[in-house]
Amino acid sequence: MTVISVEGLKKNFKNLEVIKGIDFDLPEQKVVALLGANGAGKTTVLKTISGLIKPTSGTIHFNDENDKDVRHWIGYLPQFPVFYNWMTGKEFLLYVGRLSGLTKHDAKQRTEELLSLVGMTEAKNRRIGKYSGGMKQRLGIAQALIHQPKLLILDEPVSALDPLGRREVIDLLKKLKNEMTVLFSTHILSDAEEVSDEILFLHDGVIVESGAMNELTAKYKQPKITLVFERNIEEYIEEIKSQTVFQSVEINSNEAVLLTDDMEGAKKVILQEASRNNWPLTKFEMSSTKLEEMFIKVVQGK
Amino acid sequence: MSQWLILLQKELLENVRNFKWIWVPLVFIILAIQQPITMYYMPQILESVGGLPEGAVFDFPVPSAEEVLATSLTQYNSLGVLIIVLITMGVIAAERKSGVAAMILVKPVSYTSFVTSKWFSVLLLVWASYFIGYLGAWYYTGVLFEFVSFSIFMQSFLMYGVWLTFVLTFTVFLNTFLKSSGLIAFISLGSIIIMSLISSILSNALSWSPALLGGYVTEFIMFAQMPDGAVISMVVSIAVIGIMLLLSVLLFRKNELAE
Amino acid sequence: MDVISNTMWLMIIPLILIQLILMVVSIFDIVRNEQTNGPKWVWVLVVIFINLIGPILYFILGRRND
Repeated sequence: MTVISVEGLKKNFKNLEVIKGIDFDLPEQKVVALLGANGAGKTTVLKTISGLIKPTSGTIHFNDENDKDVRHWIGYLPQFPVFYNWMTGKEFLLYVGRLSGLTKHDAKQRTEELLSLVGMTEAKNRRIGKYSGGMKQRLGIAQALIHQPKLLILDEPVSALDPLGRREVIDLLKKLKNEMTVLFSTHILSDAEEVSDEILFLHDGVIVESGAMNELTAKYKQPKITLVFERNIEEYIEEIKSQTVFQSVEINSNEAVLLTDDMEGAKKVILQEASRNNWPLTKFEMSSTKLEEMFIKVVQGK
Repeated sequence: MSQWLILLQKELLENVRNFKWIWVPLVFIILAIQQPITMYYMPQILESVGGLPEGAVFDFPVPSAEEVLATSLTQYNSLGVLIIVLITMGVIAAERKSGVAAMILVKPVSYTSFVTSKWFSVLLLVWASYFIGYLGAWYYTGVLFEFVSFSIFMQSFLMYGVWLTFVLTFTVFLNTFLKSSGLIAFISLGSIIIMSLISSILSNALSWSPALLGGYVTEFIMFAQMPDGAVISMVVSIAVIGIMLLLSVLLFRKNELAE
Repeated sequence: MDVISNTMWLMIIPLILIQLILMVVSIFDIVRNEQTNGPKWVWVLVVIFINLIGPILYFILGRRND
């Protein structure tokens, strides 16, 4: 079951195309990371889905029985959540709970539940103006969850947090997966890798890669050999460059990275050449590429 | 409806916590009641200040109670309007600027309720402050001079209240498409001044202008008779208030709040 | 003359009382709030020494709106 389908979504600001036509579906009860560098258009995508801005063209379809206001089903946390600073944390949650249609009793109950979920019970009667950044972030998550949305949208929920706070939020996301779909944006791949089931990789307003986390990891996992020489690398590499067993060879001062599909064959070629010509090797390493390299390549436009 | 009440409740609570419900009524009381007091004690004040030449006899004509009440009401023409504009200038704009409006409007909140509840909260504050202020002036005038009939008081109260409502609705209206509170206050006050000037210069051609209500209400208190143009001016004002409110909702809905 | 100034006081006392309340509320708020727009002590002086307009200025300009 998909929770939401986005088709041909485009968004222009003035004459600038920010989102250049993207399609995706979000499945039920999955954590999906919207990954991309700063300026890729992540926030715009999230704001459009949550209804804060209108798409220039394209549709966002929410799979729901009745055609009610989609805001009933969406919880949204902006990158920099702002509150009424004169309210206490508890008052704010009660307020947005009532606004979302909860009865007084339900709003109260839900508020207490969420305060303890995000670890804010102690600070609940303090004015929000006195909260720290991390506390505001946690209150932000609580307010997004108040009406038990089916889709939780979080804009960079962890990037502003210290390692401890980051840990807490990531653990929370794992917990929430059982109840709803979570779509969160991040520019840090390791955050996406740690918690998400699926990735949408946005670059320059286009989704350049997407899919299940494990599929993508497998797809971009390729055997790789790294060689480091003492000096003057070209002449040695020239000798093996033409071998078909290597798919690509990249030289960076006295380091060479060779990609291959056949690790055994490649190893043989290199070791033979190395012993025959007495290569001044200082390092020989076999490993595999990671998603990270794909990420960096795309971002740097290679 | 219940959501509208929740929104209104929040506005009221906010205005209690930031003391608007204390200082605005108090200022409105002072503005109105200082008028009968100064008018009554003017001769004594001048005397005690001194500086009158020996033997000079000043004949101060004693103003009529109606005159005193009317002058009290005109105190709101400048400072009253100024305060209304200043307390309304950020009612929506400030929330949009800070981003908290976006936090609220991603919840299933009706845009119409969001705008109208804010408008109504200012309306309540202004009408309550204006009522006790003007009532105070009426009482002081009665004690120090003579009591003007309560019916004249009530009618003039409602009549001039329409103008104050016009001012605050216009300021709320500007809030729905401008984000800078300062700019809103500037445009609002500027427009009101220009409107008043033009209306008083061309008062014959523009006898229906809302900006003339201040003049009409003075005449009405003095002569206990509706001046020509007063009724039509009130009708026009109320209609324009309705239109501005409607446009506020429409413009606000059209805006992209996240920006 | 004495009788007149007595009634005069009776009339003016509410006016003075209201000004006083405004002043006290403003100062209470200035002290209680963490920050004001501009130095606190300036606002205290403004509220005490500028009749009526002082507290209005504070509430509109000096008060941090959060």
